[in-house]
Amino acid sequence: MREEDERYFERIESRLDEAFDRAERAKGMGYDPEPEVEIPVAKDMADRVENILGIPGVAERVRELEGEMSREEAALELVTDFVEGTVGDYDGRAGKVEGAVRTAVALLTEGVVAAPIEGIDRVEILENDDGTEFVNVYYAGPIRSAGGTAQALSVLVADYARSLLGIDEYDARTVETERYAEEISLYDKETGLQYSPKDKETKFIAEHMPIMLDGEATGDEEVSGFRDLERVDTNSARGGMCLVLAEGIALKAPKIQRYTRGLDEVDWPWLQDLIDGTIGKDEADAETADAENTAGGEDEESAADTESGDGGEESDGETETPDGADDEPAGPPRLDPSTKFLRDLIAGRPVFGHPSAEGGFRLRYGRARNHGFATAGVHPATMHLVDDFLATGTQIKTERPGKAAGVIPVDSIEGPTVRLANGDVRRIDDPEEALEVRNGVEKILDLGEYLVNFGEFVENNHPLAPASYVYEWWVQDFEAAGAPVQALEDDPGIDLERPTPAEAEEWATEYDCPLHPEYTYLWHDVSVAQFEELADAVADGRLVGREADGGLAETGDGTPSSDAKKAGDGRVDDDRVLELANTETVAETLEGLLVEHTQSGEAIRVPEWRLLVRSLGYIVEEGGSTSAVDEGEPESDLDAGQSASDVDAGASPPTLDRTWEPADLSPAAREWDGGASAVKAVNEVAPFEVRERAPTRIGNRMGRPEKSESRDLSPAVHTLFPIGEAGGSQRDVGEAARGRDEQGRRGVVDVRVGDRVCPDCDAHTYRTTCPDCGTHTEPHYECEECGRVVEPDESGRVHCDRCDRDVTSPDWFSIDVGEEYRRALETVGERESAYEILKGVKGLTSADKTPEPMEKGVLRAKNGVTSFKDGTVRYDMTDLPVTAVRPSELDVTAADFRELGYETDVDGEPLKFDDQLVELKVQDIVLSDGAAEHMLKTADFVDDLLEQYYGLPPFYEVDEREDLVGELVFGMAPHTSAAVVGRVVGFTSAAVGYAHPYFHAAKRRNCDGDEDCVMLLMDGLLNFSKQYLPDKRGGQMDAPLVMSSRIDPSEIDDEAHNMDIVRQYPREFYEATLELDDPEAVEDLIQLGEDTLGTDEEYRGFDHTHDTSDIALGPDLSAYKTLGSMMDKMDAQLELSRKLRAVDETDVAERVIEYHFLPDLIGNLRAFSRQETRCLDCDEKYRRMPLTGDCRECGGRVNLTVHQGSVNKYMDTAIHVAEEFGCREYTKQRLEVLEKSLESVFENDKNKQSGFADFM
Amino acid sequence: MPLETPVRIVRELAARGYNAEQAAVTLIASTERPGRTLERVVEHVDDAALRITADDVRDALGDARPSSDARDAETRADDVSTMENGAETIEDDVSAVGGDAPNRGERDASTPRRDETTNPGRGDAPADVGESGSGSQDPSVSTGDERGYRKTEAGSGSGNVPEETAGAASGGGTSPGDAAPAASRTVDPSLRSLEVAGDVTGQSTGTGEYGDFVKVFRDRYEKLSKQLRGRVNHRPATAIQSMSGGTDAAMVGLVNDIRSTKSGHWLVELEDTTGTFPCLVMKDREFAELVDELLLDECIAVEGTLSDDAGIMFVDSMHFPDVPRTYSPNTADRHVQAALVSDIHVGSQEFEADAWTRFADWLHTEEAERVEYLLIAGDMVEGVGVYPDQDEELDIVDIYEQYERFSEHLKDVPGDMEILMIPGNHDAVRLAEPQPGFDENLRDIMSAHDARITGNPSLVTVEGVKVLMYHGVSLDEVIAELPEEKASYDDPHKAMYQLLKKRHVAPQFGGKTRLAPEEKDYLVMEEVPDVFHTGHVHKLGWGKYHDVLAVNSGCWQAQTDFQKSVNIDPDVGYAPILDLDTLDMTVRKFA
Repeated sequence: MREEDERYFERIESRLDEAFDRAERAKGMGYDPEPEVEIPVAKDMADRVENILGIPGVAERVRELEGEMSREEAALELVTDFVEGTVGDYDGRAGKVEGAVRTAVALLTEGVVAAPIEGIDRVEILENDDGTEFVNVYYAGPIRSAGGTAQALSVLVADYARSLLGIDEYDARTVETERYAEEISLYDKETGLQYSPKDKETKFIAEHMPIMLDGEATGDEEVSGFRDLERVDTNSARGGMCLVLAEGIALKAPKIQRYTRGLDEVDWPWLQDLIDGTIGKDEADAETADAENTAGGEDEESAADTESGDGGEESDGETETPDGADDEPAGPPRLDPSTKFLRDLIAGRPVFGHPSAEGGFRLRYGRARNHGFATAGVHPATMHLVDDFLATGTQIKTERPGKAAGVIPVDSIEGPTVRLANGDVRRIDDPEEALEVRNGVEKILDLGEYLVNFGEFVENNHPLAPASYVYEWWVQDFEAAGAPVQALEDDPGIDLERPTPAEAEEWATEYDCPLHPEYTYLWHDVSVAQFEELADAVADGRLVGREADGGLAETGDGTPSSDAKKAGDGRVDDDRVLELANTETVAETLEGLLVEHTQSGEAIRVPEWRLLVRSLGYIVEEGGSTSAVDEGEPESDLDAGQSASDVDAGASPPTLDRTWEPADLSPAAREWDGGASAVKAVNEVAPFEVRERAPTRIGNRMGRPEKSESRDLSPAVHTLFPIGEAGGSQRDVGEAARGRDEQGRRGVVDVRVGDRVCPDCDAHTYRTTCPDCGTHTEPHYECEECGRVVEPDESGRVHCDRCDRDVTSPDWFSIDVGEEYRRALETVGERESAYEILKGVKGLTSADKTPEPMEKGVLRAKNGVTSFKDGTVRYDMTDLPVTAVRPSELDVTAADFRELGYETDVDGEPLKFDDQLVELKVQDIVLSDGAAEHMLKTADFVDDLLEQYYGLPPFYEVDEREDLVGELVFGMAPHTSAAVVGRVVGFTSAAVGYAHPYFHAAKRRNCDGDEDCVMLLMDGLLNFSKQYLPDKRGGQMDAPLVMSSRIDPSEIDDEAHNMDIVRQYPREFYEATLELDDPEAVEDLIQLGEDTLGTDEEYRGFDHTHDTSDIALGPDLSAYKTLGSMMDKMDAQLELSRKLRAVDETDVAERVIEYHFLPDLIGNLRAFSRQETRCLDCDEKYRRMPLTGDCRECGGRVNLTVHQGSVNKYMDTAIHVAEEFGCREYTKQRLEVLEKSLESVFENDKNKQSGFADFM
Repeated sequence: MPLETPVRIVRELAARGYNAEQAAVTLIASTERPGRTLERVVEHVDDAALRITADDVRDALGDARPSSDARDAETRADDVSTMENGAETIEDDVSAVGGDAPNRGERDASTPRRDETTNPGRGDAPADVGESGSGSQDPSVSTGDERGYRKTEAGSGSGNVPEETAGAASGGGTSPGDAAPAASRTVDPSLRSLEVAGDVTGQSTGTGEYGDFVKVFRDRYEKLSKQLRGRVNHRPATAIQSMSGGTDAAMVGLVNDIRSTKSGHWLVELEDTTGTFPCLVMKDREFAELVDELLLDECIAVEGTLSDDAGIMFVDSMHFPDVPRTYSPNTADRHVQAALVSDIHVGSQEFEADAWTRFADWLHTEEAERVEYLLIAGDMVEGVGVYPDQDEELDIVDIYEQYERFSEHLKDVPGDMEILMIPGNHDAVRLAEPQPGFDENLRDIMSAHDARITGNPSLVTVEGVKVLMYHGVSLDEVIAELPEEKASYDDPHKAMYQLLKKRHVAPQFGGKTRLAPEEKDYLVMEEVPDVFHTGHVHKLGWGKYHDVLAVNSGCWQAQTDFQKSVNIDPDVGYAPILDLDTLDMTVRKFA
């Protein structure tokens, strides 16, 4: 590790120590459930594993083994330790297996996720039919978070332990085998599996599995056959088991085999059959083989032949690359469109592009500094033009390369192209301009570029899609062609990225280099016929003076667009525009090509015409020498009003000479891509090579909106103190304190809370401190049966050996909430008027039911924060990555950054200015504005708590948000149990949490729209307690059972290692994309994060290919969040679908009805006809309407929970949308049938008009 | 009754094997003597025609050809006759076969013709029938040939024509070989009777209010408790609540909740119109296994002793509304049969059209001449939107076309049959039960043979025999909830026994079955049916429960992908044929 990095971590850790000391002092006072901080610090993975499992000695052994072997091997090695009893204190054989399995899973998941504690319920030893014993592993749903490999290896570990312990193999009964098969398809149908094994495969696995896989029921749906089995205690699908078998064993068979081979004790020869994929097929194969001898066999065979023949033809005809044999392929290389992302489209979340549709996002390769790791770069102008539906952090479901991505703003790529109401076509590269023209946009012809980094393709193992021809590729071609690129770059008069038309023409013709992308139009999107028509139109067109066109000049003035810049260049052609007859086909072709133009009545004017006409095979004869031109006299249009800089003012204008006749086009060019692409034709007539500008379009639609909001329980909770029903539906402690119960006692409630005992004076109380002497109390475990007091064992389990039952501490207490409330206010010296309301909870769900001191709640209420189930204050944000930042965009200064230990910018220059680009350190995070405000409130709460409750000095003393810079927070993701320490370095107006990708990966998140939370460090240390966690499956998830103080890049989710970290992709890469190569083919050419792992460079050097001027461009919030009702959102969605060229609005309407309205209508109608009812007065629920009619509990009014209004709320809208957007008859008929059903259920036949007239 | 005329005209035409354009019917109806006009039209049209158009009618009306006096007189009588009378004419004619009645040409040409054009087995017909499948044929096929043809077909045994499946409950059925070499169908409609009770169609008055639901359950309680009150000394729940410990008590109530206690006993909470009371069934009692059969919201009676603190009743006996063991079913007065089918699923790619055609053809044989009723227990068509992405598996995507096609298939059966159908869960009516019959629009489409359309469920009395028609959605739930030996897909009739025992076709609320609240509980079996006919589960099964015949009649749709995935192997192309005079049943297979 570099010294600099060491300093960085030490800095974080010293602040952490400081906080720890203060927190330990506070906790030491014994006011909390435990007298010490309950989040242990883990310096490395081994620590985390030990802390999460709570098995002492594991960390040490893991560290020993880690140096010698891989993590998987270590997991197996540890089995021996458990069996021999050197690690873990287990007496029983089942316990040993359990310990080994849990440890293996913890190890393989880096001790971060909750799977090892929540996903494995228990291991038991049962009997086979022949009387021998076997091992049964009992999985639970959260095993999902372990991932397939760890799941599969957990089985292997169990088997290894089994064999070492000399237990026999599991011998599945036939019914059990069948049950596995049925259950897995049920689970697949209900919940969905990544891999759905065939029934044969499942049965094969079940037959050969040497241990039994069992688990908890996770769904309501039950299997229909193979029910009530003796050894399977549920008829529902056992989700954990299904995952382990399907996504673990079946999917990861090759990985497991690698390890079974190394173990003598374990032999799973049957894995080979799984790997070969012969299971489920071999039967069919055998049949075919048999059939071959019979008459039927021939048919089958010949059918197969025909099929393969067809397939071959197809691939010849439509896709793929030239492969020698034929002289030319019939079409360009393309990936097949995929419609998966459109599935489950819902109302209010628009489609931006149909699969690979023209006009959709154009794939550009590259990584912006706020990019990579399941994100997609979109131009901020696009975000505005899609009616603000896209904002920083909005999730989109995408066609490729992954399934979903988080949107990030990148303004160094091309923006969208639109047609305005007046017919003008403009590319919008400026967000401000987008907002100005937005109301006048009639059609969005093109959504602009869509930045995806190479690593995304690696991560998803997705074949490379043909790259857009862009500057960064061209410039390498240019250099390869022998151009003096360096010299041109240094020339201040030349902008290599945006050359003038003349420069571009010169470079393309002088050097053997394709035309500059700036002037390469989308020829592949127009047909050969369109191309010829346009060429003809040019022949009839003329060049006129620029000033003749008012509208265009305005364009030039309005924005610093390339036009204006080039206009000042003084070249002849810049003063003239090409005027073409305004016909529909010409306009459409220009729109398809994305050629900017204006319209005025009869004419279409193209300001950038030179390379357009050159590409169309015209020669531009500069003015003067022309004599006999067949058409009229464009000269007349030139007059004296030209700018002074126009040196050629008096000369005659250039003329255009066509160089080819239709007959000159080769058949290959005409038939290229079936005539749908004019690229070949252009290359035949143009004097230079013209590349495919944007061959890959990527369809996508909106997924989730971005998120930045505080995490509140529902209803919100200030204090985890139980008040039963006394506080009303608001759980108002004040109300509970004043109310009277049935016996007329004021403020007294009967609730179940933990019985605690004072170690000094033996007084019993529910409080954490003794009411008599103030000593910290301990939970009191008294066996209900025998009355014996039991102590918890090492693993925290409390078991009465005499009665063989678990013992818990909770008991019924009559708590005087009024007294408790007054005392709490008094202790912290607050009045009730300091806040509006103090909300408690109805009851406690934890094992020991320890109530939180109410004082904490008072201070939370005062400071306007609420508590999560574990006592912490949390704020949720969508995760986004960023590897380099400018202090200015984070609302901090260079000085602030220097204070944080940042010394240089990305280029190694000393950090002096606020707008210098600085590489972000791995544990630094950027808070959204909302998060900052919330953290400020939390800091005030923590300070109040320290001062007013614990009597200690305040820790934060913040006044404004700048004071938070440098403070530490916890990052914590759902389904995990380990928090990661982060440091606040700045703020952003985007509603997201920007942080280093490794920080997110350490939490096991990627950035495809995932969200997780931050907690203020001190809040977590002071207020978190395991004692508050719910005593149910999943209760330990999303709780900081351990924290990582520093990130080891080797111990994070390896998805982040696939992010590329270079400044430029090589030319070979771009060329490989045209071959649709697999990403591995070019992986060596581009450095990925994984390449620096374990080196000194592992914490730095995250370079990017594209910059963006700010990481929070575009709208701050998606329109999805700012629009009010679902109807408004849907209207906006459909409105947008009409505007987008890449979207088929009928399909959108169809899908909205199909996936949103119909399921809603059907679901609600179903719910209506089998609903529960509820008492309006006492809230009592009834499965069925009581025969008494009134509430049996209180005599109150009972009513339905699903009413007509909620059933048919979408009916009229759905019918309307179906009509307006011309949906299929099938869809309309479904709606019709439903509407009739609704009528039939909700309307009285006898009140309806009916006659015989309609009989015939 | 002028408004009924079109119905009669349609029936009359159908009876003669014709479809008719609506305009044609209107035209006929608008004439002074529609009956006569009809005759004329029928006489006039080309014998190969299957559909009478308005033009045909106009032509016929313009055709001044005089008819014989006898014929005039006969048709004049028809003018005022009811449908039965109209059909009687046919009967007369047909029974006159052997003679050379001069005016029977068009009659003969009607039913048999369809027979020939649609019969897939006609390849092995004697050569003298001559025509080879082309729609147009010589209209003057002689009666003798006709009969000969039919006989051959019926006797051809093991071809693709009907063959008997083994093991009908009674064995009283017929086999193709038994077919009397008699004439074609000779039916006497005047002997028929078909009445429908308990039909919600047009009576759906519920508006989805809370009160409607309460009314339904109260009605259920009232009707079913009536069956039980004679057997126990019922006390209301509130009365039992105030009784002292240790006393004997009895209660009739809807099952509100079933729980097992820690020690393995069963706690059954019963509810009546006053409140609830918990009843404990000890696990070691001999009737404890009855708890396994209980469904929520069914009505039972219990007798027992109150606990010492009077908080609970220890159950000593449990009673169900049930069918009395002594029940003696009604039978028809004459030898007449009904075909019980269901789940036709027209429009599905899996619809077995050939099997259906074979069935329809068979009905035209003399072997089937006593089959005068066709009762269809729901799912005429595959429907739309029944499950996600259904359109990809539909042969006919348009729901109305599905019904049109179904109607075409229905026309294949003899026009003189009485047809009655109820909707199922695939049909285009509400899913919530009771389901009203098809609306006017769909009735118009399915006007062929003037089938009776009633709701699901309906109690249909056929010549005295009470047939309870119910589609059978609740069978899924019964099968899921009850132990396998008591109800399974392989023995669907056993699940039906359970419903008979509970005297309710779909007791459990809140589960799979959907309930639409109406002013009374249409799902209660107030009367004991003689035959209980369901479908839905696509499995064939039948048997007798306390002398009530329970029939689940299979389907006409081959195994679907979904069924394959849940391992249901449907029984396709079976037609149970019920002797209404003996309640014996024969099952015929057509697939």
